[in-house]
Amino acid sequence: MGFKPPNLLIVDDSTAIRKILVRVLNQTGLPLGQVLEAGDGKEALKQMEGNDVSLVLSDINMPNMDGLELLRTLRASAQWHDLPVVMITTEGSQTRVQEAVDLGATSYVRKPFSADLLRDKLASLLSQ
Amino acid sequence: MKTDCAGTVVPLRNEQMADMLFAATQEVFTSMLGSEVERLSEPGAEQTASFDGVLSLIGLVGAVIGNGSFVCSAEAARDLSSRLLMTEFSQVDEEVLDAVGEITNMIVGGFKNLLEARVGRVQMSIPSVIFGKNIATRNSGANIAAAVRCGFPGGEIEVKIRLVAR
Repeated sequence: MGFKPPNLLIVDDSTAIRKILVRVLNQTGLPLGQVLEAGDGKEALKQMEGNDVSLVLSDINMPNMDGLELLRTLRASAQWHDLPVVMITTEGSQTRVQEAVDLGATSYVRKPFSADLLRDKLASLLSQ
Repeated sequence: MKTDCAGTVVPLRNEQMADMLFAATQEVFTSMLGSEVERLSEPGAEQTASFDGVLSLIGLVGAVIGNGSFVCSAEAARDLSSRLLMTEFSQVDEEVLDAVGEITNMIVGGFKNLLEARVGRVQMSIPSVIFGKNIATRNSGANIAAAVRCGFPGGEIEVKIRLVAR
């Protein structure tokens, strides 16, 4: 079987941030499959049904279901337990970072971010 | 934390909080907007007259209660959105309002992260953004804790934090 480029999911209630993340992902130069988008955790779970998602980039503060609740739900699921999830959020306090790490976040990026640093981090995660 | 004569929580001096707010603003401009930002004279105590343009508001709740606000003209909003999204905008549309909301989110979030180290946990609401003419604002019981007016090549912005004791 040939190489199948990974599908990614961006979860953020801001369309501006979703667009920026799509741009940064394209700048990695790595082959990508579908880049799916969701405005909150509930939408994200719906998007993941039937889609083989390899990496999730998620905000924390969102309506309906926030990023930490989404992460908790994924880690409790047999199917998504080991799925890499990168939290990309304005929440930068040590307590909140620790909370995300304890819930099983793969990585944590604070907004505002440097596009170059984020691109390198995502490229490194995607090449794994 | 101290309380002033109006009963307002003063975890830091207002000047220190204004410095924190400018630092948060500067970080967003340099990291996300690719622009320098200059601190202008401090804004007035309260917005007394109505104004035309864009107003973005984020609630703060936790160790303190209040809000963060971001105000700019329609032209400045379009310029900021173009810098953030690398797309030209000829009018203030949904995308511009979303971009201004996200810029506010990052500035107020940066300030909140610095404030939390001093006062304890504070949570933010999602932003509400208003665009129109003759916008007037009033805050019941909340005093300005920090305010900065900044200039950048595309115009001016004003960011304020209002806080009250729990």
